[in-house]
Amino acid sequence: MTHVLVIEDDPVTSREIEAALHDHGFEVTLVDNGRDGLLSAVGDTFDIIVLDRMLPGALDGLGMLTALRASGITTPVLILSALSALDERVRGLRAGGDDYLTKPFEFIELTARLDALSRRRSPTAEASRDSRIRVGNLDIDLLRRSVRRGERKIDLLPREYALLEYLAQHAGQVVTRTMLFEAVWNYSYDERTNVIDVHIGRLRHKIDGQGDAPMLHTVRGAGYVLRSPE
Amino acid sequence: MFSVPLSEIPRTISFRTALMFLALFGCSFLALFGYIYWQTTGYLITEVDSALHREADRQNALQPELRRQELLKHTAQDTEGRLPNTLFDAQNRPIAGAMQALPAFRKYDRPAEFMWDKPNGHERPVRFLVHPLDDGTTLVTAQDIRDIREFDELLINALISGGLLLLLVGLAGAIALGYSARRRLDMLSRSIKKIVEGDLGGRLPTRGNYDDIDRIATVVNGMLDALERLMSEVKGVCDDIAHDLRTPLTRLIAGLERAQRRSLTENEYAGAIDTAIEDAKGLMQTFRALLRISEIEGSARRSHFTPVDLNTISADAVELFEPLAEERGMTLAFTPCSSAATVLGDAQLLFDATCNLLDNAIKFSPDDSKVEVTVLADASHCSISIRDHGPGIPESEREAVFRRLYRSESSRNTPGNGLGLSMVSAVARLHDMTLKVDDAQPGCRVDLIGNAQRA
Repeated sequence: MTHVLVIEDDPVTSREIEAALHDHGFEVTLVDNGRDGLLSAVGDTFDIIVLDRMLPGALDGLGMLTALRASGITTPVLILSALSALDERVRGLRAGGDDYLTKPFEFIELTARLDALSRRRSPTAEASRDSRIRVGNLDIDLLRRSVRRGERKIDLLPREYALLEYLAQHAGQVVTRTMLFEAVWNYSYDERTNVIDVHIGRLRHKIDGQGDAPMLHTVRGAGYVLRSPE
Repeated sequence: MFSVPLSEIPRTISFRTALMFLALFGCSFLALFGYIYWQTTGYLITEVDSALHREADRQNALQPELRRQELLKHTAQDTEGRLPNTLFDAQNRPIAGAMQALPAFRKYDRPAEFMWDKPNGHERPVRFLVHPLDDGTTLVTAQDIRDIREFDELLINALISGGLLLLLVGLAGAIALGYSARRRLDMLSRSIKKIVEGDLGGRLPTRGNYDDIDRIATVVNGMLDALERLMSEVKGVCDDIAHDLRTPLTRLIAGLERAQRRSLTENEYAGAIDTAIEDAKGLMQTFRALLRISEIEGSARRSHFTPVDLNTISADAVELFEPLAEERGMTLAFTPCSSAATVLGDAQLLFDATCNLLDNAIKFSPDDSKVEVTVLADASHCSISIRDHGPGIPESEREAVFRRLYRSESSRNTPGNGLGLSMVSAVARLHDMTLKVDDAQPGCRVDLIGNAQRA
């Protein structure tokens, strides 16, 4: 079971996070300040750390993260912050964070991102370093950037290919629009109507459109998931 | 009219300045008048003295007997005693002349003054000169100087009355000045108090003569204009927020209450919860967008700016919206600039702003129309221009569309939270860019113009 350390000083938020992560099937440990957070992170083995950027006491979020990385702990860290400014994000990632989520956020967004982070660490992630990803009968050649479904060759535009590659790397996991946008367009997402849906719609039309069993599903209120039809 | 308590007047700057000038003027008046007085009286006395010397010299040259005769004759003629020249013998007894006794003197041939008791009882100031003659007698030449004394007095009186008049007029002027300054300031402070109490439409009174106070008042009025505009904007935002959030909240609550009231199947409950979550998420999105705009407006992010090519930004945005346009049969025509259009800025924010503009252009255009995105650059400016063939924005709404949560009547039914253009305008302000909305006839043309960054 994935074990998550949540370092958050606001009791209401941390309880909500705990409940949401529990429902998602994560084991959660709560800590409410940077010092205890650092001690727990060093002393115990966690799969992921959720870190609030603003923490009371001498050790704030970024300070704790820097100390953590300095002591050689590479556990993935997702930073929660009320500051959405781009340079804040950059600072957070530079300090050693693996992902950055701005408050207020939806819990589905948090769990999807934690899934992605834990996946990044799991051994299956090594597979994605291969030159090939297979999901069901969908075959993606990462070197030649070519896609086949069964015998059928699928022609994709560069952006469609990037979308599919990201979805395939996280096959079976819910991927939110925000994550897709950040990964594929390299901009952070700004609640933009249904633009991504249209891109996904096109991609779906190309891979599922020829009477094959659907693989690219919309998860209501969350995002998308690429799943092998079985 | 408003009255000013007299005790307040001495505190005004005008009064004090006037008083200071009055003192300065009084000093120079005294100096000038004193000089004139000194010069005039000095001159008159010198004239008298030289006349006395001349007479003494003349008498000295005469034979003693002739001298006596002449003095007797002179005394007989000079009944007024204006020139009471008198000759005394060696024992200081009067021989000839009007005086009965030799006046007290310190030195021969040195003019002096004494009060002469005239034989008729009158007392007169007399200036005299005592001159010893060769035959042992003493000659006193003298002149009545009452006229000169009277002239002196006249001068002094004129000085005093003139000075008093000056003082009075000056004081009255100072009080008048202080009073009017005080009254004007009172009017200003009354106006300011009214404004502070909430009458934001109030302005400071001006006289139109561009004096110091007028100029200050004009500046303050300009400040008040800006303040009023900001206040009305804030109020507008609050009203809009209340109005715009009330509708979805009402819908949310109504849906939940409906679910609570009716006994529903499990599926219907799930549906109601889904709808409620969607509504709540919509609200959350609106709040997030509001927070983001505040953050952009409040940030001093210019220090993190890097050179950004508007060609790249626009190309990315166009690429993102291409499928959306295509879905509605629209053409998205992108014309990049042949040279780099580099500005100093935040790529993410510029991208967001461009996306917002593009999103609007597509949203408000009819199906099968054309949206053009053009990047232009010259030596000093770079711009992104987005032109659609939609209904355009009426002249009267071109300011309002940048207000937070503003939705024009015609757009109430299109999805959106009325924050897109506010966000664009906040980004433009942060980048010192000009945001221009024009009528493209047909359609609308929005230009985002920034200063070019030299490579």
